[in-house]
Amino acid sequence: MTDFIEIQVVYARPERQELVSLKLPAGATLRQAVEASGLMQKYPEIDLATGKFGLYAKLSKSDAVLRNRDRVEIYRPLIADPKEVRKQRAAEGKAMKKGGGADE
Amino acid sequence: MISAILVMALGAIVLGAALGYASIRFKVEGDPLVEKIDAVLPQTQCGQCGFPGCKPYATAIAKGEADINQCPPGGEEGIRKLAELLGREVKPLSEEHGVEKPKSAAVIDENLCIGCTLCIQACPVDAIVGAAKQMHTVVERLCTGCELCLPPCPVNCIAMVPIAESVDTWKWRYPVFRMMPKEGKAA
Repeated sequence: MTDFIEIQVVYARPERQELVSLKLPAGATLRQAVEASGLMQKYPEIDLATGKFGLYAKLSKSDAVLRNRDRVEIYRPLIADPKEVRKQRAAEGKAMKKGGGADE
Repeated sequence: MISAILVMALGAIVLGAALGYASIRFKVEGDPLVEKIDAVLPQTQCGQCGFPGCKPYATAIAKGEADINQCPPGGEEGIRKLAELLGREVKPLSEEHGVEKPKSAAVIDENLCIGCTLCIQACPVDAIVGAAKQMHTVVERLCTGCELCLPPCPVNCIAMVPIAESVDTWKWRYPVFRMMPKEGKAA
């Protein structure tokens, strides 16, 4: 079909969010997209070996083949520990809500 | 007599064929009125109008099933533009659908986010970047301020922050005219 795919690479920091639109040859992988985006030069903390990457909120391996209009996302680790937060909330006696807003 | 009828019939056939060809060749996809209304709506996809998004609301307006004053993010200016487009009376925003607020964007408190992805699933415009157990971040440029991510968050770490007016976001304003006299200023 098409020889080129149009994708986006996004790296979001709270103060600045980078959205890079790229045109890559069909069959390009997630790793190639991150390398081509130029974000690694701008943000040295991005590490292809240890960092986590994904496509539209789903974690993906760096050798995943991209499809047209994919959005490659570069993730950052959490600051809060979900288990600790859960314990705290349980201790405070707050109801856990899952799936949205049905706790009232 | 016969030749006159023949000429008229021939003319009718030729013109009919031309019209028929044009209607196929230059077919307009979709309803142009819906597109025009949709272009006026703010594309927040917030659902405050009672429809699942801006396009469904635009379709309902075009069909006459919905009124033009049900869009709080569009505000008074949006209603005015719709009234102009449809040749209707300008009316104040319907209160049951909400109030006009300054344009805001969601911001996630990174110290609290537990990476649950619930806000990402709620976001109608894919403005939140993140995955399970990874930090979630709102891309301000994509956020429409619809507030749909607020209720699902289990740790209440999302806040709406009004977007400060800058050179990039400043827009030429329309001349303001009040539809109702200001309260307390009646003289």
